[in-house]
Formats: sequence, structure tokens, C-alpha cells
Amino acid sequence: MGTLVDINNVRKVYKRDAFEVPVLNGVTLAVPQGDFLALMGPSGSGKTTLLNLMAGIDRPTGGSIFVDGKEISRFSETQLASWRSRHVGFIFQMYNLIPVLNAFENVELPLLLTKLSKKERREHVQAALDIVGLGDRAFHYPRQLSGGQEQRVAIARAIVTDPTLLVADEPTGDLDAKNAEETLDLLQKLNADFAKTIVMVTHDPKAAQRAKHTLHLEKGLLVEGAYGMETAAHA
Amino acid sequence: MKFAKLIRRNLFRNKLRTILTMMLLAVIFFFVATLLAILDNFENFSNAGEGANRLVVQSAISLANLLPYAHEQKIRAIPGVVDTAKLQWIGAYYKEKSNFFANFAVDVDKFPTVFDDYKVSPQDLAAFQADRRGALVGVDLMKRFNWKVGDRITLKRQIFPFDPELTIRGTYVHPVQTTSVFFPMEYFQQSIGNQGQVGTFWVKVADPKQMAAISQQIDAMFKNSDFPTETFTEKEFQQNFMSMMGNVKLLFTAVSTCAIFMVVLLAAITMSMSARERVTEIAVLKAIGFEQRLVLAIMLSEFVLLTVIGGAIGSYGAHFLFIAVDAGKMTQGFLQNLGVHAKTLTICMATAVGIGLVAGGFPAVRASNLRVVDGLRRVV
Ligand SMILES: Nc1ncnc2c1ncn2[C@@H]1O[C@H](COP(=O)(O)OP(=O)(O)O)[C@@H](O)[C@H]1O
Ligand SMILES: [Mg+2]
Repeated sequence: MGTLVDINNVRKVYKRDAFEVPVLNGVTLAVPQGDFLALMGPSGSGKTTLLNLMAGIDRPTGGSIFVDGKEISRFSETQLASWRSRHVGFIFQMYNLIPVLNAFENVELPLLLTKLSKKERREHVQAALDIVGLGDRAFHYPRQLSGGQEQRVAIARAIVTDPTLLVADEPTGDLDAKNAEETLDLLQKLNADFAKTIVMVTHDPKAAQRAKHTLHLEKGLLVEGAYGMETAAHA
Repeated sequence: MKFAKLIRRNLFRNKLRTILTMMLLAVIFFFVATLLAILDNFENFSNAGEGANRLVVQSAISLANLLPYAHEQKIRAIPGVVDTAKLQWIGAYYKEKSNFFANFAVDVDKFPTVFDDYKVSPQDLAAFQADRRGALVGVDLMKRFNWKVGDRITLKRQIFPFDPELTIRGTYVHPVQTTSVFFPMEYFQQSIGNQGQVGTFWVKVADPKQMAAISQQIDAMFKNSDFPTETFTEKEFQQNFMSMMGNVKLLFTAVSTCAIFMVVLLAAITMSMSARERVTEIAVLKAIGFEQRLVLAIMLSEFVLLTVIGGAIGSYGAHFLFIAVDAGKMTQGFLQNLGVHAKTLTICMATAVGIGLVAGGFPAVRASNLRVVDGLRRVV
């Protein structure tokens, strides 16, 4: 299996007023196609930052990031936006559905950026909702759904464009145990049955167990890895 | 448009706030449209004499001082003068003092040549000229008092010691002056004892380019007489007559500008608030792949829609109100034919779009420039 995400010696420094905050200090990592990777680590270790970088919503201070052979770390803002719309699906801790749109319309949002016809869009949305088991809730608004259902709508929205990479930042962080289990079942299914590559940030070991591999971040460095020596050489 | 639904839903996301903002805009636009309509009305009135090629000769001392008939022959002899007519503003009223309209004694035989912009049918004109106490009445005034040709009306004295008792012999149509009454100069003169004096001479000039020269010539001619004159074009005369006009215009413009400015600020506050509340959602849209320009267009469309709907309710509200009610009646004839016309509506709607762009511009640009990661962390 080939490498989907290839991260080389990536550094990220945030500038806060006068001083600089180093967050990632040289991370090297390769995520194979079809993997389900869990990123763990203490709060503030840079998990979200790393995830955002490979999803193309943030840019590294140094190093390079390739996804599916394209060096996204060199893309302009506009190029990144259009690339994300085709290749990345996002799942957030707080679901982040648009409250004024119903489930169907929320899932349809990414498709509005494509050239698909209205009919084609409807078919895609219905298929995505069926996969997450909410085919019958299409016309419910987010406030009429439970947290678990909202997260499943969000997952449908993330997969509706059939993206290359799914990124999930603490997808179970706001859910009770039962709904967390169901969400993880769904992610596993997407990985196993639909061959989706998934990178999931979590601090819940139970969630991480569902992944194929787990990596730990500490102070901006990978400390142990299931792929061998991905840890950066310098601190 | 694929995004219309999102725009519409966002607009009415906070219904109370949106409706209050729209109402505020509607009220202000109603007010501004009405002020503009009144200005329009004044403008029309003061433009009334334009193109009529008429000069008005009055006493240089004041409008209350009269001029001797003898002046008229001398004026008529000036080359370039087509004809002249004596005209006296009477200032009488019908029944109630609040029934305000203009009434004049005029040389009836000269009326069709000097006042050729007042359209009268030949029959009406003949009947008017034949009756010593005949009256020629503007069509709108006929409507206002439900008068019919043949009605006998008595006006009450105010300035001159007589009450004109008249029979309506005809009506006239005029683009602006639609509510005046004309009656014969001789009737007036006999009633006040034939003093051989009159308030104004109206002078029809052949060539508009000569108006200024003839005007100077008239005043020069009487400069050293016992009755010096001051001659205006009809337009100047009307403007003098409404001497407060300039001030009113300035005042109205200032008040309208303040109102619009206030609305811009209030709309900007509302729009900033709603943009701010949506920081996370905007970040999500951008993460999904919505480009900065698309987010900007979506937000600006929403803000412009808000101001355009509010502005349309207000200005079209005024438009239809002044069609439905007779502002002339309500203002005792002060504002005849008040109306919010197409030009005013266009100005109002363009202003509404402008308000949306100006007030919403900053919040929309800010929101669309939001960095995805900052929006997701809500650090902004
Ligand atoms: N936009 C930012 N500006 C400044 N500091 C930031 C910003 N984003 C993240 N950080 C800092 O970077 C560090 C890592 O953040 P993050 O990647 O969210 O960690 P984790 O997801 O592992 O909790 C934290 O100390 C955080 O305060
Ligand atoms: Mg995090």
C-alpha cells in the first residue's frame, strides 16, 4: 500500500505578539493509504495542529507535507480551499453543523462547490445519510437531533464528496459512552468497508484502540510510533 | 443560485433582530422618501415658469406696493415683448382660512397669450372671458372642493376689502399649478374703486435669450420714476415667493443625511454581531472548501438583502401611501400632488444597497478573511 500522507520534518511556530510559541518541532510521519491512525498525547502537545496541517487548513513554518503525491504545503490559500473541497472530509468534536440548515442541507453543503446537478446531489446526500443510518432524519434540524445523531450527520457531510482523507479531531470528545461507541463503529466501518484513510485525534485510549495504529505526540514531537522511527531526530 | 437558501436562512436566523433592523430601515426610508418627495414638489413648483418665457414686474419697494397701469404701455413697447398682462394676487379663501389655494385677478383677454401654458378648451375660455364674474379653476382644485362648472362660489376677503362672488365658467390644466383660481381684473378693480394700480405685470418674451436684457431694460426704464420696478424671470419669482426654499432644501438634506448615517451605524452594529456569532460556522464553511470570495459574497448578499428589504418596505410604503391618500387635502393644499416618484424610489433603493455594502462591508470582509484554524478555536 502506498503512502497517502507524507510529512517531512514539519515545524510549526505560532507568533503570539512579540514572542514565538513552537508547537511542532520537526515531525516526520507517513500515513499509508487505507490506514486508520489515532494521534494521542497530552493537551497542548500539538495534535490538533498536526491534524490541521495534513488537512490543509493551516500551513507549516518549515518542512513539507505531501498528500496523495501533491505538496500541499506549497499551495496558495485558494488552491488549498479547492483541494480540501475535493480531498478532505472534516469531523469535529462539536459536530459544527450549520444550525439553520437541516440534515440533508448540511450534508449537501460540500456538494454545492461541485458541478453536480441537483438530482445528483440529492442521490449523493441520500447515500451518505444511509451509510450513517440517518436516511430517515434528512429533514431534521440539528437542534432536533441528539449529539450522536448530529455527529453522524457531520460524518455524512465529511464523506459525501468521497474524499481521499478523513480527519477527525476528538470526534467522541463530546459524546456519552454509547454514542461514542456508535461513532467509532461507524469510523471503523468507513475504514474497513469503504477503504477511507482516517486520521483521528483523541485522548481516549478506548477510542484509540479502534484504530489500526496509534502515535503519541509530546511537546511537539512524536515519541513512539507503530511505524517504527518516525520520531524527529532533533528536539 | 445554489446558495440562496443559505443566505435566506442566515438572514432570518435571529428573526427578532432581523425584523427590528428591517423596521428601523423601513421607518427611516419612509421618512427620507417623504422628504425627497416634498423637495421634489417644491422643485417642481419653482420650475413651474421654466420654458414659459415670462418675466414678472413688481414694485422694487415690496410686493405689497402696487404699480401704475401706465407702466404697462411702456413695457409692451419694448422690442421682443410679445404681450403683457396685469395680475393681482388676491389671497382670499373659500369658507375656511385653512383652505389654502392661490387666487388671482387677471386680464382675461390677455390670458391665452401670456399664460399659454395653461390649457383651456375654447368653449371654457370663451365662457370665462364673457362673464364679468367668471372664474377659471385648476382641475385639482375642482376635485378638492367637488366643484362643477356652473357652480357659484364666494371667496372671503383677507387683504382687499371685497369678497369675490364668482361663477365657475371653466377649468384649466397645467403641469404644476393645478389649484389656482383666476377671475377678471376689471371685477377686482371696480370692487376696490378703480385706483389704476396693480401688483404685477407678466411679460411674455419672444426669445428666451433676451429675457435677461429685457428684464434690465424694464428696471432701467422706471429707475428714476415714482414707481421703480424689479423684474424677475418667473422662475426667480417663484423662488423668491418661497424664499425659505433654499433653507428647507439644506435642512432636509442635512436631516436625511443624518438619518442615513445613523442607519449605517446601527446596521453595522447588527451585522458585526451576526458575523461574530457565526465565526465557527464560517470557519467550517472555509474548511469544507468555500473560498474567501464566496464567503464574502454570501455574507454581503445577506446584509444587502436586509437593507434592501427594509428600504423597499419604507420607500414603497411611502410611494403607495401617497397614492392612496390625498396629501393635498391633508396639508390644506400646501403639498399638491405629493408623490414618491420613480426617481426617488431609485435613489432610495440605491441608497439601501449602499447602506448594506458600507455597513456590512467591514464585518463581511473580516469574517471571510478569517483563518480557518482561528475560527475553529474561536480565538477571534
Ligand atoms: N492560533 C494559535 N496561536 C497561538 N498559539 C496557538 C494557536 N493554536 C494553537 N496554539 C498553541 O499550540 C499548542 C498546541 O495546540 P494544539 O495543537 O491545539 O494541541 P492539542 O490539540 O494537542 O491539545 C498549544 O499550546 C496552543 O496554545
Ligand atoms: Mg486539540
